[in-house]
Amino acid sequence: MKLMAMGSEASVYSKGDRVVKIRKRKGYRLNEIDAPLRKSRTRMEFGIMKKCYSSGIRVPAPLKMKEEDCSIEMEKIEGIQFDSKFSTEKMKELGEMVAKMHRAGVVHGDLTTANILLTEKELVIIDFGLSEHTAKDESRATDIYLLKNALKSRHKELYEKAYDTFLDSYSGSIGKEFKGINAHLKDIEKRRRYNEDY
Amino acid sequence: MYVLGIESTAHTFGVGIVKDGEVIANERDTLKPAQGGIIPREAAAHHYRLAPMLLKAAIDKAGIKMKDIDVVGFSQGPGLIPALKVGYQVAHLISEKYGAKVVGVNHCIAHLEIARKYTGLEDPVMLYVSGGNTQVITYQGGRYLVFGETQDIGVGNLIDKIGRKMGMPFPAGPKIENMARSGRKYIKLPYSIKGMDVSFTGMETFVSRIIGREKSEDVSFSLQETIFAMLIEASERAMAYCRKDSLVITGGVAANSRLNDMGEVMCRERGAVSKRIPLEYAGDNGAMIAYTAYLMKDYRQRDLTIKPRYRTDTVEIKYR
Ligand SMILES: Nc1ncnc2c1ncn2[C@@H]1O[C@H](COP(=O)(O)OP(=O)(O)O)[C@@H](O)[C@H]1O
Ligand SMILES: [Mg+2]
Repeated sequence: MKLMAMGSEASVYSKGDRVVKIRKRKGYRLNEIDAPLRKSRTRMEFGIMKKCYSSGIRVPAPLKMKEEDCSIEMEKIEGIQFDSKFSTEKMKELGEMVAKMHRAGVVHGDLTTANILLTEKELVIIDFGLSEHTAKDESRATDIYLLKNALKSRHKELYEKAYDTFLDSYSGSIGKEFKGINAHLKDIEKRRRYNEDY
Repeated sequence: MYVLGIESTAHTFGVGIVKDGEVIANERDTLKPAQGGIIPREAAAHHYRLAPMLLKAAIDKAGIKMKDIDVVGFSQGPGLIPALKVGYQVAHLISEKYGAKVVGVNHCIAHLEIARKYTGLEDPVMLYVSGGNTQVITYQGGRYLVFGETQDIGVGNLIDKIGRKMGMPFPAGPKIENMARSGRKYIKLPYSIKGMDVSFTGMETFVSRIIGREKSEDVSFSLQETIFAMLIEASERAMAYCRKDSLVITGGVAANSRLNDMGEVMCRERGAVSKRIPLEYAGDNGAMIAYTAYLMKDYRQRDLTIKPRYRTDTVEIKYR
């Protein structure tokens, strides 16, 4: 297997038309923390990928999980990371995807443009290591907040337009639940600013 | 060219002097309240009391006279209002009396600049951990951007709060570090990472409940192992996301050697570098303000008031 990418926590290997994502031991972390964490994230990621896949959300087809080495085998997506070829036009599509994912009861937990792949025809969401099965407004708001921050820091010039496009599309797709989510979003931002005051 | 810098965002009052960008004096004093955290007014009183003495000590150490100062920098924020006001007043006073130009410095950026200077790392990701601040910052597109941060309380505050509950004096960091060395048992604690952010309030509640029921050594050990792992994971995520290959840990909590060790192991495993900065420049200090004011000496700033909620990413970096 050939190493394809080092993500934010895992190594991703190429294996024909599949990839294998392996969470290796982190030497800085005590084994009592590290081992259960890697195992539960792998298990959670695989389960959530299956749920998303069967709900028609564009994610790589999950194929096999091995708990012993914390690995997941999945469909290889022919594309590139969205952050390296970012465009605001795709934000409408992303808003719809995230709304659909949230409606399926999944919150991603690490929604950045590095965890979205761009293929010739569409976006594909990957990296569900920090995901949760939840339909709570607050968790959904956290997802949006993280994306907003990622846009702001990584795509500064396009950030405002990109975020507006995303939010328009997301709120349109998620429907009346947006009100509650938006209240939490405002709350998270307020709390953050307050912290800067010590 | 002589630049004097004043730090007074929290409980430390510091005066530093740089000559052509090299530190030649760094004097400071930190208020250590008998119990509890920082009371803003007490910090300010402490700063007023010690300012004249620390100024003189720095000037003497540098072997210069007040009138030799060309630029006077001060911490504009973020920080506690009463404490910030002291630095503001002293800087403006020096400017009026001796004709030095005033430069307002962002406290977080000063930490980063002094860290770059003393590690020689060009473009690191900085994990900035102190009482009130817990941020992962790096340079991108002409600014210092916050990639990850605490969603609630600062890690230093968390440590101090827990320390107080275990009956330790403020600041509790060193005592907890010591106790942790003899901890043997890992008590499972909540590990809370949200993207590149961390969250500590769940930890505070959880640990408060086990204090007294578990040995302090084991609590300290488990606490350190968990919160530092979270911070190093957040740093690693930012490094991966921003494609940066070096790390520097700074702020008061950077005095903890376990945290530094973890940062080094993380970097080694991903083929990156991590360097330590001298302790003198890790905690709040005047030299970092002087040095950053030196870098900013040509800035024309319209707003030279204090900025208690000064955001790192609002400062345009023109000298890099
Ligand atoms: N199914 C896939 N098809 C193609 N490339 C992938 C796939 N999964 C991951 N990758 C590549 O590996 C990188 C890291 O994967 P990711 O799941 O985000 O791991 P991490 O949790 O370490 O960030 C991705 O950014 C992408 O470039
Ligand atoms: Mg990833």
